[in-house]
Amino acid sequence: MHLAALKEEIPVEPRAVRAPQKGALVRLLTCGSVDDGKSTLIGRLLWDAAGVTEDQRAAVALASHSRAINGEKIDFSLLLDGLQAEREQGITIDIAWRYFETERRRFIIIDSPGHEQYTRNMATGASHADIAILLVDARHGAKRQTRRHAAICDLVGIKKVVLAINKMDAVGWSETRYREIERDFLAMVGSFNFAQVMTIPVAALTGDNVVYCSASLPWYAGPTLLDYIDAVDPVAEPVDAPFRFPVQLVLRASRDFRGYAGTVASGRIKLGDRIVDARSGLGATLRRISTMDGDLPSAGKGDAVTLVLESDLDISRGAVLSEVSRRPVNADVIEARLVWLSETPFDPEAGYLLRTATDLTPITSISVSALVDFETLASTPAHACRMNDIADCRILLGRATALDLVRDLPATGNFVLVNAIDGATVAGGVITWAQAGAPAVGDNVLVLNRALLARGLCADLGDSPADDAEFNRRAQEVALLLRSAGVPVLVEL
Amino acid sequence: MTALTSHLKLLEAESIHIFREAAAQCRAPVLLYSIGKDSTVLLHLARKAFWPAKLPFPLLHVDTTWKFPEMITFRDKTACDFGLDLIVHTNHEGLARNINPFDHPPSVYTDVMKTVALRQALDAGGFDAAFGGARRDEEASRAKERVFSFRAAGHRWEPRRQRPEMWQLLNGRLGKGETVRVFPLSNWTEGDVWRYIMLEKLDVVPLYFAAERPVVSRNGQLIVVADERMRFEPSERPVPRKVRFRTLGCWPLTAAIESDASDIGAVVEETLGAKYSERAGRLIDHDQAGAMEMKKREGYF
Repeated sequence: MHLAALKEEIPVEPRAVRAPQKGALVRLLTCGSVDDGKSTLIGRLLWDAAGVTEDQRAAVALASHSRAINGEKIDFSLLLDGLQAEREQGITIDIAWRYFETERRRFIIIDSPGHEQYTRNMATGASHADIAILLVDARHGAKRQTRRHAAICDLVGIKKVVLAINKMDAVGWSETRYREIERDFLAMVGSFNFAQVMTIPVAALTGDNVVYCSASLPWYAGPTLLDYIDAVDPVAEPVDAPFRFPVQLVLRASRDFRGYAGTVASGRIKLGDRIVDARSGLGATLRRISTMDGDLPSAGKGDAVTLVLESDLDISRGAVLSEVSRRPVNADVIEARLVWLSETPFDPEAGYLLRTATDLTPITSISVSALVDFETLASTPAHACRMNDIADCRILLGRATALDLVRDLPATGNFVLVNAIDGATVAGGVITWAQAGAPAVGDNVLVLNRALLARGLCADLGDSPADDAEFNRRAQEVALLLRSAGVPVLVEL
Repeated sequence: MTALTSHLKLLEAESIHIFREAAAQCRAPVLLYSIGKDSTVLLHLARKAFWPAKLPFPLLHVDTTWKFPEMITFRDKTACDFGLDLIVHTNHEGLARNINPFDHPPSVYTDVMKTVALRQALDAGGFDAAFGGARRDEEASRAKERVFSFRAAGHRWEPRRQRPEMWQLLNGRLGKGETVRVFPLSNWTEGDVWRYIMLEKLDVVPLYFAAERPVVSRNGQLIVVADERMRFEPSERPVPRKVRFRTLGCWPLTAAIESDASDIGAVVEETLGAKYSERAGRLIDHDQAGAMEMKKREGYF
């Protein structure tokens, strides 16, 4: 889910708002290669920062004893590895979601598996995170899987990364070793879109520099891991982002209520604004923003609302409503970078569907052009891809759908590929390039605007809502007839 | 307008989004309504998601016949007040065999009267999607579950083969024989649920508030004697104690806690300061390690 724009409200009862007043919610991913100590680190963080209840402590202490991996010590990973297979094998298979609060803020911690075969679960977790803690073992430095995880963090849009160099005790708390790993990593991720990379030395098992400062690291003057995550803020969305509203479903309550239900994916909208359906090019004025708690004067990113328009656009699930000036691309050819998640390799003949915000579009043809090499993190030409690969590909769609380039608007610039036969999600990706299928505004496009229609075709219509609806109906009919005759048309009422 | 905090507003919007995604993609959804605080929030969010239209799916309550009487009263009043389409299902084969929480181990009782009953009701209704009020903060195997949690034929959960779920994109397309459990409250915590109930002024079953109730103490767990079917040990006598519940289920298997929290504000206060997780009071979860996961694999919630 998306982290919506956080707004401050007026508290009603002081007792109830004590905790949530703490400010930002931060979604934190832990990732990195297997056995580098992710679950132990988060278990330690929760244990020391009081995110663990008494009965959970007792259960973990008991289970640790029976496993006896660390002798009499507590096995912190048991706090997160909740599946039986995980406990039996001592590994993490799927992501665990943990919730905890500090004095300052609330956290959702998403602990992800390090094994290559469970990369699809890591990618799931990463796509929900604002900040990633990428763990490396100080003895080994970044491994192939560490680099893969870094590349997936970049692909899904994470902007801030903490490189936690773990097991510092095993390298004698060596600053030289720490600097070496840091230097290598920074050089490696130079081509990514990370806004900030922070490096922190830790020893998760003993707790050094996780919650409490470590006496063993006198040369390190930076924050502990908890200090850092308690202070870091997710990268803020630009305040003037374009409005996007993928329609989830059409709600009809009575003869006179027809609303488009959805969540604002980007930007803001207010009553009286003109909005347009990118797919048909039809526009209308926003009449109501409806919720069970009453109508709203405006709605912004993250708000789940129902929009009622002055004139009905005859659109359904899958449409993206946008502002008039900055529209999504109504694309039928796209290029994308994706991570392949299915155990079944990519097969150009298999039959896939493109699932964007709320639309499901048939794919006519899909081809792979390059793969990311996890040794160098560079793209190399390729024509096939299989599980855990990151690939660049070109997709031709059976019909045009409204979407954005991820660099312009991450919220509506991503997708998953769905196997048409069994419904499985086989890949997740971001749109790097798109070509408009229906004509974009240009020299050869006929723009049907209000003035043009009012002069003749709609000269008999006035300003009443009924007349406005009839105006819109005629505009749509004309556009339909012209398009069927091959004339590119845009309706701008 | 309500005065939700920014955090609760975020959770509310996310849940509404999930409800709408499932309703738009699935043929025959149903809301699993278990009468407790989570179901109360779940139902409220469902009404918000489709307002002003009516709920586009029925509610299903699996009645083991061992619920607290206050719960049944509350359920029927809620269905009536909001004009809901409520289906109540009991496993009548289990009832005929007199499967009950006193004579049978919790694992057997739960399997027959809850898990099998749920499967019967879902199959009978032909439902392909079931909304549940499970939260990831409740228990370690639930912390691993997706928002759209797919079930193979026979309602089996296969935790090692969960479908990837990226960004806000909820792929509800089903394979042959598959159904999906949908958890709109996945990211809510117990504290969030109570704060939301308070700020939205929602009615909950009175058992959540402290009052003097007839209590028997067994192995350190406080059992409230709800009706005449109670089986007393020879030395046992019900003693009035001021208690309340953090979770509600079948009364012989749900432990109360001593508490003075008799109104919603006090409950919120107490929840935020709790040292024990809420499932500490669920006797069925403690049978053995991984108990919840095993029940889920067999088709429980």
